[in-house]
Amino acid sequence: MGIISVENTDRLYWLGRYSERVYTTIRLFAVSFDDMIDNYIDSYADFCKSLDIPNIYTSKENFIERYCFDPEDPNSIYSNLMRAYDNCVTLREELGSETVSYIQLAVYEMQRARISTAPLIELQKVVDNILAFWGIVDDCIDSQNVRNIIKIGKRIERLDLYGRLRMPREEMLREVHRLSGRITQTQLKYRVDYLREIERLVEDTEIDYCTVVMKVDHLLEES
Amino acid sequence: MQKMDLYGHTDIVNELLARYGVKFGIYKNNEFKEQLFPFDAIPRIIGNHEFAYLEKGLKQRVTALNLFIQDIYGDKKIIRDKVVPEEFVYASSGYLAQCEGVAAPQGIHAHIAGIDLVQGKNGEWYILEDNLRVPSGASYPMIARELCRRSSPRTFQEYHIEDNRNYARMLRKVMDHVNTGGHTVILTPGRYNAAYFEHSYLAEKTGAHLVTGSELIVDNDHLYFKDYSGRMEPVGAVYRRISDEYLDPMNFRRDSVIGIPHIYDIYRKGNVALINAPGNGVADDKGIYYFVPKMVTYYLGEEPILQNAPTYLPFYEDDMRYVLENFDNLVLKDVAEAGGYGVVFGNKMTKQQKEDFIALLKKEPRRFIAQEVIDFLDIDIMDEGKEVPRKADLRAFVLMGEEPMVWKSGLTRFSRNPDSFIVNSSQGGGFKDTWVLSQ
Repeated sequence: MGIISVENTDRLYWLGRYSERVYTTIRLFAVSFDDMIDNYIDSYADFCKSLDIPNIYTSKENFIERYCFDPEDPNSIYSNLMRAYDNCVTLREELGSETVSYIQLAVYEMQRARISTAPLIELQKVVDNILAFWGIVDDCIDSQNVRNIIKIGKRIERLDLYGRLRMPREEMLREVHRLSGRITQTQLKYRVDYLREIERLVEDTEIDYCTVVMKVDHLLEES
Repeated sequence: MQKMDLYGHTDIVNELLARYGVKFGIYKNNEFKEQLFPFDAIPRIIGNHEFAYLEKGLKQRVTALNLFIQDIYGDKKIIRDKVVPEEFVYASSGYLAQCEGVAAPQGIHAHIAGIDLVQGKNGEWYILEDNLRVPSGASYPMIARELCRRSSPRTFQEYHIEDNRNYARMLRKVMDHVNTGGHTVILTPGRYNAAYFEHSYLAEKTGAHLVTGSELIVDNDHLYFKDYSGRMEPVGAVYRRISDEYLDPMNFRRDSVIGIPHIYDIYRKGNVALINAPGNGVADDKGIYYFVPKMVTYYLGEEPILQNAPTYLPFYEDDMRYVLENFDNLVLKDVAEAGGYGVVFGNKMTKQQKEDFIALLKKEPRRFIAQEVIDFLDIDIMDEGKEVPRKADLRAFVLMGEEPMVWKSGLTRFSRNPDSFIVNSSQGGGFKDTWVLSQ
C-alpha cells in the first residue's frame, strides 16, 4: 500500500496503544493478583490509583471479575482488547487477514477466559496471541510506515504505563531509547522538544514521573 | 470418494473462518451483533456443460439489464415502444431522477451483478432476483475455498474444479477498466455495516484502499484521498458499498453523513467512476424483474436463455384474477423489501391474515408480485454428522468490464430450517462453496 489515510494512521496508532495496554495490564495484574492471594486487601486500590483509573470496585473478587472481563467497565482489560479489535478489524487491507486474525484470536481467548473456571490463567492465551500479533506485524507487513506507526503507539503506551507505575529508571531508560529510535523513522509529526525533555528527565536520579507521563501523552501533538 | 475427506474437516474450516473474522453484522433490538456465517463443506457442484449454459444466459441477462438502465436514463425507447409500462419505471423506488441523461464511464452501469437462481427438481434453472446495486457474498466462497484446499488438498487434486480465487483479479480488472485516472478505493459505510468483512476482504485482495466517506474529498471537480502527510491523492474509481441515497448529501439524501458531498456532480462530468452506477435500482426492482425476459428480446433480439420463476403482476387485471384464484399456491413478495423480508406464502396465512393481505393487494397492486412456489432441488448439508436435504439458492456473479465475465463459482446459501425456503444469512441461513467442474 503506497499511501495511508489520516484515519488509518490514527487506527494503526491506537491499535498499537490498546494492544500494548492489554499486554502490559495483564502482566501487571498478574503481579497484583498474586499479592491479593496473600490477602493484602488494598492492593487493587493501589493498582487503580497507580493506573489512574477510578476504583469503582466493591471487593477484591469484584475487582478481579470486573477489571478483567467486564465489557461495561471502560477501563477493563476486556474493553481495551475490544478497542484494539475495533481498530484492527478496520485495517484488514493494511495489515492482511493473517495479521488481523491474531487480534481476533485474542478476543476469542478473552471470551473463553471470561466463562472459564480458571479465568486468570486463561489470560495467558490472550497474551500469547498479542505477542504473536506483534511478531507477524514484523514478519508479514511490508510497509515500514505501517509497522512504525503501530510500534510508536505501542512504545508511547508502554512508556505512559511505566511512568504511571513508577517503574525503575533502567526500564524507563530502555523504553525511552526504543521510542526515540523509532519515532524518527516515521513521518508522524511529534514534538521534538518534548522528546528531548523526556530523554533528559529519565536520566535524572529522581525521575519526575508526572512530567514524563504528561510529555509522553502530548508527544504527538504539534507545537 | 475423496470429497468425504473434505466433509470431515467442516469444523476446522468453520474454526478458521471464525479466526479470520468471516462474519456478518446484524442489528437486533437496535444493537449491533456480529454473527458467524455457518459453512457447510458439501459443495454445490455444477458440471462444465451446465455452467457454460448458465454463463451464456447470465451474460445475456446482465447485458440486457445494462442496456435497459442506459435506455431508462437516456432515450426511454423501451417505454415509448410500450414494452415496459412507465408506471413500473417511475414508481420504482430504485428510479432516480438525478440520473437522467448521465452517461456512465465506458457505458457500464451494473459492473457487478449478483443474480439469484434456483434449480427446480426438473433440473431447470430459474432466476429469482437480479441484484444490481451492491450485491454482496463473493468473499465467502473465496475464503472458504482457500481453507478447504488447505484442509483437504487431495479432494482438489482428485476433482477438476475451477479455481474461484480469481474473483479479486476479475474485480480489479473491472475497476481498472472504468478508472478515470487515479487510485481505486472501496467505499464502506463503516465497521458496523452487515457486509463489512466483505468490504475489507475485497480491499485486501484487490489492493484497493478501503475508505469511509470522510476520507474522500471533492475538490476542483476531482476526487481526492488525503493521506496522513497531507498529500492529496487523486481517485479514479470508487467501488461503493453504500446505497444510492446515502452516496452524496448534495444530490441524494441530505441527512447522509456517510457520503461524499458533490461526488455525483463529478461523476456526471466523467471525472470518477462509480461501481456500481447510481440508479441501478430501477432495473432490479422486483416489479421490473417480470419484464427482464422481454428486455432480452427487445434489446438483443434474442430469446432469453434463462427463465424467470413464473411471475404475476397483480397490477394487471388478468394477473390479479389469477393471483386471487390461486392465492394458496403462490408466494407473494413486497417489491420494496429485500434480504428475505416481505416474503409471504399464501398457504401459510391464517384466514384473517389472508383477508387483510388481499385488501392490501387490491389497494396497492404495484407493491407486490406473486410467483409460483418453485420446488427447488434440495442440496445435502451436514447436520450433526448426518447428510440431510435443505433448500438452497445460488448467487452468481457477473462482472462487466471490457466484456461480461461470469465468475466460475458463486455463493450457495441454504436454509438450516428443514421447513423453510428462506436462505438469507440474516435469517439464519448458512453457505456452501460452489464448484464449477473444469472438465
